[in-house]
Amino acid sequence: MILKQFLFSFISTVGFSVFFNAPRSSLLYAGFTGGCGWVVYYILKSMGYAAPFASLAGAIVVGLLGELFARVDKKPVTAFVVPGIVPLVPGYGMYLAMVGLINNDYDSAIQIGTETILTGGAIAMGIIIVSSLAKIFKSRKTIILHSMKKQ
Amino acid sequence: MLKNEILQVAIYSGEIMLKSGAETYRVEDIIERMCRSKGLDDVNSFVTPTGMFVSDNKTHEATAIIKRVKNRKIDLDKISQVNNFARSFISGDMPYEDAIERLNRIDNTPKFHPVVTLLLTGLASAFFTLLFGGMFPDFIAAFFISMISIGVFWSIDRLSDTQFLSTTASSVVISICSILSYKMGLGTSFDMIIVGAVMPLVPGVALTNGIRDLISGDILSGIARVFEAVMIAVSIAVGVGSVLGFWTGIMGGSLI
Repeated sequence: MILKQFLFSFISTVGFSVFFNAPRSSLLYAGFTGGCGWVVYYILKSMGYAAPFASLAGAIVVGLLGELFARVDKKPVTAFVVPGIVPLVPGYGMYLAMVGLINNDYDSAIQIGTETILTGGAIAMGIIIVSSLAKIFKSRKTIILHSMKKQ
Repeated sequence: MLKNEILQVAIYSGEIMLKSGAETYRVEDIIERMCRSKGLDDVNSFVTPTGMFVSDNKTHEATAIIKRVKNRKIDLDKISQVNNFARSFISGDMPYEDAIERLNRIDNTPKFHPVVTLLLTGLASAFFTLLFGGMFPDFIAAFFISMISIGVFWSIDRLSDTQFLSTTASSVVISICSILSYKMGLGTSFDMIIVGAVMPLVPGVALTNGIRDLISGDILSGIARVFEAVMIAVSIAVGVGSVLGFWTGIMGGSLI
């Protein structure tokens, strides 16, 4: 079941990498990033956690793998993170919120809409947490290297 | 290299990155680092999604360049190529003509063949339908509908600059085709087909980049990007919603 989910999101992410014109060498890495992010989201979601939290965890995984593959493949992190977060984007929530608005069912529209916005924010937060931590580690590493050279 | 030439090279690199959808801080960072590596210490760059300003603030001979950027389309290959170019520009001693020629070549790199892009985007949307819980007939329907909608999107995008028009038109096409295929028995649930096929239009990346900009302190470009995402989302909702409203209100169909 989880393997099937991984495969589906892997292919989707590769398709979106082509849509975003990613570098050819990074297509499979990006697919792996997106697949792992979605699987983490899926597992947490089926364990009963709320969608924003599951998306946050998924986005953190996407960000970590993006940082890793950026060093392996010598490409900017964006090339992996942008396609990688696409499976996490709450498209179905947006659709349901809009259907609620059409049906004059404002309660469910606001409820689902709020969750959708929170999910979008959570994805951005996950990516930012990883990228700013990576930046701190990188600057720490260069500072330590410099001080070692001086000695 | 003259001061003006350095600024020209730096702002051209920044323009390509911004047009390809790079984050604001990355564009500013690359422009400043490229200038500083060639001895321009007091360079400021201010980048927004719709244009950028770069100036060298040495007194008596201050120079400023403004560059307007009209349309943005995500192109990860160009971002990574400009990144590599900037790295070799900073570390090496590249003549002006060489640098401009390399940037020209990057700016005109061919994308994937349109047919390949179309097929793979269709495949991606179809697998999204399965991820959201659709059945196999929905998979087939979403595959073809998303290819049609991307074709519509591209052909309208070529005619007009406003993204609102192309997004609305292609989401109208998506919902009409989904309802038709559902009525003809080619799908089990049209909401799954719509959600899958609309995925390439959904502004998830614009929203995430906008919130990133907001948090990292680029308030102006953050607000611009978030509102761009909101506008795209509204135009999708207008397209899909008007067709669904017409269908439920006048044709007597039901949702879900």
